[in-house]
This record gives sequence, structure tokens and C-alpha cells, in this order.
Amino acid sequence: MMSIMKTAPGRWGLARTTAALLLSGYAGAALPHTHMSPENPGQAVASRPAKPTLAIGATVDAQGRIWLARVENRTLLVSHSADDGQHFSAPVTVNAEPENIGAEGENRPKIAVTRNGTVHLTWTLLLPQPYTGEIRYARSTDGGKTYSAPITINDDKRLTSHRFDSLVSDSGDRLAIVWLDGRDRDAAKEQGVAYAGTSVYVARSDDDGASFHANRKLAEHTCECCRTALAWTADGPVALWRNLYGSNTRDFAFSYLDTGKVQRLADDEWNIDACPHHGGGIATGDNGTLHAVWYTHGKNRQGLFYRQVKGDRMSAPMAFGNPQAQAGHATVAADGQIVLITWREFDGQAYGAMALLSKDGGASWSAPHRIATTADAADYPMPLIHDGRMQVVWNTLREGVRILEVE
Amino acid sequence: MLRRLCLFLVCLAAWPASATEPARFDSGSLAKIEARYAGKPFILSLWSVNWCGHCIDELTMLGKLSKNEKTLPLVLVAVDSPEDSDAIRKTLRKLGLSHAESWVFDDPIPERLRAAIDPTWQGELPRSYLYDKAHRRQAAVGTLDEARLKSWLEQQGQRSGTAK
Repeated sequence: MMSIMKTAPGRWGLARTTAALLLSGYAGAALPHTHMSPENPGQAVASRPAKPTLAIGATVDAQGRIWLARVENRTLLVSHSADDGQHFSAPVTVNAEPENIGAEGENRPKIAVTRNGTVHLTWTLLLPQPYTGEIRYARSTDGGKTYSAPITINDDKRLTSHRFDSLVSDSGDRLAIVWLDGRDRDAAKEQGVAYAGTSVYVARSDDDGASFHANRKLAEHTCECCRTALAWTADGPVALWRNLYGSNTRDFAFSYLDTGKVQRLADDEWNIDACPHHGGGIATGDNGTLHAVWYTHGKNRQGLFYRQVKGDRMSAPMAFGNPQAQAGHATVAADGQIVLITWREFDGQAYGAMALLSKDGGASWSAPHRIATTADAADYPMPLIHDGRMQVVWNTLREGVRILEVE
Repeated sequence: MLRRLCLFLVCLAAWPASATEPARFDSGSLAKIEARYAGKPFILSLWSVNWCGHCIDELTMLGKLSKNEKTLPLVLVAVDSPEDSDAIRKTLRKLGLSHAESWVFDDPIPERLRAAIDPTWQGELPRSYLYDKAHRRQAAVGTLDEARLKSWLEQQGQRSGTAK
């Protein structure tokens, strides 16, 4: 049984009006052709409406405060709410120098807050050359008041694809970042050798983000443009990505970073010479159970799927979402026995934020529930679980950030 | 000369926007394209200038093909947004496709346009639809295979006079 308890109109605290206008992206048609940037008074912003950067990062800290990371005018802004999104703190700028931060589709800033209150952020800086980027990192050690100058995490100095970052913290001093990396492909090309796909690389920190170990390759030959995902387990971090099997079979794989062993998540057999631009999600529940969600259009199954992985055992893939409504881009959160899956559908008129809830570790599920709708541009909904509460964060052009309670 | 003039007129009639700017594709655009090609075959090719490397491979092939097939009935639709028009134009010019009919998605809800083209399409690219004369269409998911395309064109009688 699932119901919406409450919808908190999660708007930003300060500069509300300006922010609302600047956030409107496509609504730029209704705006004057130039407007002033609040960050750089006196500097006119380009006359074209900015591309909507609706894709936000969200997490919850040990005190139950919700943290949001969002992009406006090439600036990453972080804010938090202690009352479930009814009020947010004044947004704090992370990058003093504006940069082109990926915040649409499957690109979004990532945010994690440790038990001690360190705020970690990663994002993809998109460079002007097609498909090139850098993985960026910054942190706050004063509770989000100030942020360190952003650093570039990929250490290869190549102008190539470093994109689709994921971030996970063990809530203490350990941190893992993974991303899709084009360095091996480019190196092979320079040798005149063909290289299918890209690679997955990892950077890890054991000192709360003060320093990072050298980049390490996790796997070669991965799909080029689907988001990656990370979760922290008792056995360390686990990464999920769309892998390449053979020349063009684009099925998901996961790997415990400590062992580096790569396992196939499902034999979907999606043979496609294309970019699905459609990744998966992963979360850790009780007893080291992994909960995974993904999208495929393979020979063996098509649509959104959930499965759990426990040691060598995997549950049968469970289909969810309405394929007639373009159900896609699912994310999963888990805490103990609670598992919450969210995804987005489009019914021809409006987007719906959809949710599926399990309170018994994924053994049984609620009926799929449309918990909110919007009739304009929208981010993908994201689940949060804390203190036995289930919430969905959804940023939409018209309504702004909403924190939707699920029961 | 007459052939050239005809071609020119065909281009003029087939092309809703200027040669430099992609036309804006909304939920009614496909019906208009289909109406213009009534009784004629055409290729609807969907791509993205922002995030689809495979699309560039496909467009490179189509660019080469269109050099020999001046009447290649190609309709390109980029699933980006009008603000990407410059990038779209530059990319197509580089690939020898500056004369191809070019459109760009113009909707804050791209799912609406996807649904208008094919409700089962989840956005993966490249993706093409080969319309025959009766507009029975076949979907080509992933990079269009050159051999398949050529044989399809021959079936449509589009390759008369070309050396095999």
C-alpha cells in the first residue's frame, strides 16, 4: 500500500524569484531576451534561453537533512533542508569559476554527505569538443558553508571522454568515484587499433576526499554514454555500468571494486550498434543484498527490470513500468528491508513520477504508483530513504523541486 | 539542365526551412513530411549532435552515399533543441550533408515527439525508418547498415543508372 502523505513545495530559500526565473530554461521564450546574472551583476547572459539544467543531485545526511546540488548558469549550487523540503538554506556556490556542468538527461551532479558532515560533490565538466569532458570534485568540510576549489579527478591529461561520473561514500572517510573514460580507446586508435566502446575508471580516497589514489582501470569495453552507478556494501563499493559483450551486446555488468571481478547482471542480449543513453541503478540493503534496476531492449527481455543479487544468487528479473508510456531511467534506494524504485513515464500529455515500494527486501512489491505529474520539462525522479521514511525528489520546470513522501 | 532545375524545384518544395537552419520538428511535423513524400519512398533518420557518436558514423556513410545519390530521399531529424542549430548545421556541412533536409526537435518534452514518431522508441540513437512508396515503414535500430540501405534503395527504384 502506498500513498502520498505530503508534498512539500521544495523551493529554494533566498533569491527565490530570480532563481525561479532562471530555472525556467525553456520558459525562456517568455523572458526578455537578456537578463542579468545574479552571480555576475552587470554581465548580460547570452540572449538565447539557457538549456534547462533540471537534473539535480540529492542525498540525505545523518541528521535527516535533505541536500540538493543543482546547476544554474554554469554554477553548481548546494542547499539543504531540515524540514523535508519546505524550506531550503541559501544556495552556496561550489565553483567560483563558471564551467559547463552536465545537468540534463543522464548527466547530473552527485552529492554525498558523511556522518561527520563532509559534503562531497562530483560532476562532469563538458568540454567544447564533442563527447569530451573531465570528472570534477569539490568538498566542504565546514558543513556546506564553503567549498574547496574544484579539482579534476581523471589523471591522464588527455582531451577525451571522461563522463558519466558516479560517487559513493562509506559515510566515513572512504570515497569512490567511477566514470566512463576514453583514454584506452584513444591510445588504441593512435596505434591504429580498433577499440570497442570506452573503459570504466575508478578514483578512490581514504582521507575524506583530501587526496585521491591514482586512477585505476576497472573494465575495458563498455557502452559509451549511459550513466554509471555506485553503492557501498560491507565488501566495499560496487559499480554498475552498461558493458559491451562481444562487439555490440550492450548488457549491464557490476563489479566490487576491491576484487575487480566483473559479473554480468543479466543476459538481456541487447545487440545494438547505438547509444541507448539509458543506464541503471544500484543500492545496498540488508545482509549485503544488492538491488539493481536497469533498462534494456534485448532479445531476451525489453523494458525496465529489477533484480537482487546476494552472493552468487540472483533473483529472476522483474519487469516494471509501462512500456507504452516510455517508462525509463529508473533509480533504486535501499535501507535495511526497505527498497524504493522510482522512474519516469510519459502518458502522452504529462510526465509521471512513478514509484514501487518493497518493505521486505524486494520479496514483494506495492502496485506501481504515479506519485506526481507535470506537463512540462522534468528531471528523472530520485528515491531517498532515511529513518524509515521514503521520499522521492523530483525537479520539474513548472513546479520546482518537490519532495514527495511515500508510505 | 532541366534535370538540375527539377532537382532544385524538388528541393525547394521538399524543404520547409532555409538551407542553413534546421527546421523545427514538432508533433505535427512527421505528418507534414509524410504528406510531402506521398507516394514516394524516403528515409527518416534520427540522430543527435550532442551525444551520439554512432550517429556520426551513420551520417558519414549517408554523406558519402548522397554524393553518388543526388536524389537520396533523406530526412534528418536531430533530437536536440533549436539552440543546437548551429552545431547541427556545422556537423552536417562537415559530413557533406548540408543539402539534406534537416530538422531539430522543438519541444521541452522530447517524449511527446518520440511518441509521435514511434511510441515504442525509448530514445536510443541512431534510429531510422525506411518508408517505401506506400509508406509502409521498417525501423532500423542502431547504425544503418550500408548494404541494407543500398539494397532497399534499389528496391525503391532509387538507384537507377548507378553502377553496381
